Amino acid sequence: MGTLTFTLNAFLSVRSVVGDTLHELGMKHDNVWGLTADTGGSLKAFKQDCRERYIDVGIAEQNLVGIAAGLALEGNIPYIMGMIPFMTMRAYEQIRTAVCYHNLPVRFIGTGGGLTSGGGSTHNAMEDINIMKSIVNMSVVSIADPNMVRDILIESMTYKGPLYIRLTQGKKDRVLYEPSDKQEYEIGRGLLVRSGRDATIFAHGEMVFEGIIAAEELAKDGINVQVVDMYSIKPLDTDLLFQAIKDTGKILVLEDHLMMGGLASSIADAITDSGIYPKKFKRLGIPQVYAGFGSGPELRTKYGYDSGAAVAAIKEMLN
Amino acid sequence: MADQQEVRRLLELASEMRKKLLYLCGHYDGPIHIGGDLSMTELLIGLFHHGLNIDPKNIMMPTRDRFILSKGHGAVGMYIAMALRGFFDYEEIVRTYGQLDSAFGMHTCKVQLPGVECSSGSLGQGLAIAVGMAFSARQKGLNHRVFCLMGDGETCEGEIWEAANTASSYGLGNLIGIVDRNKQFMWTHDGENMTLEPYGDRWKSFGWKVLEIDGHNLDEIIDTLDNLPPISNDKPTMILAHTIKGKGVSFMEHAISWHAGALNKEDMAKAMDDIKTAWEKERSAW
Repeated sequence: MGTLTFTLNAFLSVRSVVGDTLHELGMKHDNVWGLTADTGGSLKAFKQDCRERYIDVGIAEQNLVGIAAGLALEGNIPYIMGMIPFMTMRAYEQIRTAVCYHNLPVRFIGTGGGLTSGGGSTHNAMEDINIMKSIVNMSVVSIADPNMVRDILIESMTYKGPLYIRLTQGKKDRVLYEPSDKQEYEIGRGLLVRSGRDATIFAHGEMVFEGIIAAEELAKDGINVQVVDMYSIKPLDTDLLFQAIKDTGKILVLEDHLMMGGLASSIADAITDSGIYPKKFKRLGIPQVYAGFGSGPELRTKYGYDSGAAVAAIKEMLN
Repeated sequence: MADQQEVRRLLELASEMRKKLLYLCGHYDGPIHIGGDLSMTELLIGLFHHGLNIDPKNIMMPTRDRFILSKGHGAVGMYIAMALRGFFDYEEIVRTYGQLDSAFGMHTCKVQLPGVECSSGSLGQGLAIAVGMAFSARQKGLNHRVFCLMGDGETCEGEIWEAANTASSYGLGNLIGIVDRNKQFMWTHDGENMTLEPYGDRWKSFGWKVLEIDGHNLDEIIDTLDNLPPISNDKPTMILAHTIKGKGVSFMEHAISWHAGALNKEDMAKAMDDIKTAWEKERSAW
């Protein structure tokens, strides 16, 4: 496991996990490249030891994605690090046409998912899952757990086609799950974090922890909800989804993304297409606003999708 | 001065390519981007029949030069130049062009057509992809070059200049840009609304070595391609090729209406006649 140590419930910077893991992959594989548009702090070790495969183009995301496509057309696996709004939106057409049309193994690692960036409305990332999942060939995962990020990065070496990895702020992330040396997580799967029979909370990224807090709070009142970390948004683990509908009948989706177009929409699509309907379905997330300044937790409370809001929503569902 | 026999061989191919383009333009029931195809005819012949190290029998040869057509609407021009080299069958291009499930259509498609390095059609994206390929070649210690042919109009796109900046910052001497400088955009001439001038100076100021040539003079094209700076040099090279949109067909030259179009019978006869007359004039001078 290299120099990384994961301790349950301790905080770890996901960015440094990404940096260490990419460095390790870069040392092992000659076709791994590290790319950035002037935000390459996490790639320091990679830059030092894989200098010829490190490219910083300055603040020019469209060009960066084009270069990644050119590298991938030559058999390389480029990892792009960047702030989500600029990496995804500024370079959206390049991602779609240069990368995804060719179905190339470019990996987009974005920091500041949801309202966690602290940069205000220009830097908030609330449309990214919607726009990235809508591109043909693109896979989308959203992760906060440091150990899981590492697993997915290792899997990404052999994963087919383009991949978007959405991180939260990535500076201080809780180790949510019992760490292990084995590959535990894979793209296309979800994770049942906590079992319960009354309802299911689906979440991704940091919101999984809000879901766990809500579940603990509800347990005090004798309400047992299960929590699922639906880190793979495309492809979606529909087996796990339909099992949860069967077992609990009621679904709450909690996410740090616009309520429209994120995981909640993917789940609603899957439900509608399959005809396997829950008795109740509710979503909490960012409403149609430009949210402005504040910390992630403050903004979640302000816009009504924190653990407290989840508790209230579940209670209403069970009424 | 280039070998005259080679120049004449390519002149004949260029004339043949024009005829094949015009025939398709009359045969196909829809628009062909004929103006920009005709402006880069000599450039494509010079590249695919002389300058590029490529092998139609071994299209993925690792040491091949890479060629990206950034002006993707010129796809059929490239396909015909490649067909004349043995990559594709011209008859098949004519028979299937733009039809359901055909690999041959308005814009370059690598996904359906092996032998093409990269899909294009959304303007301004080719140079950055070429920069990525040039990085890869350098890191792997390969000695081929990466060529990227752009239209001048698409260099209004910001991504072109982002890529130009990266290429010179990282000293990619294995990268050759070529601009088909026909001084026409889709709906206007350069200078009517937008201008790219001082064009050569712009590329120079971005740290590129700039070579200005007559893009219809095969002697100059061959000479330039034969004497490119070594890939070990620390600057990317820009071949700024001055051309005429619609070159070779009297009623198409400089005409905004012939960015794309279809030829009726009468116009087709006139266009073919122009090509024939030019060729006879050329031959009589040999």
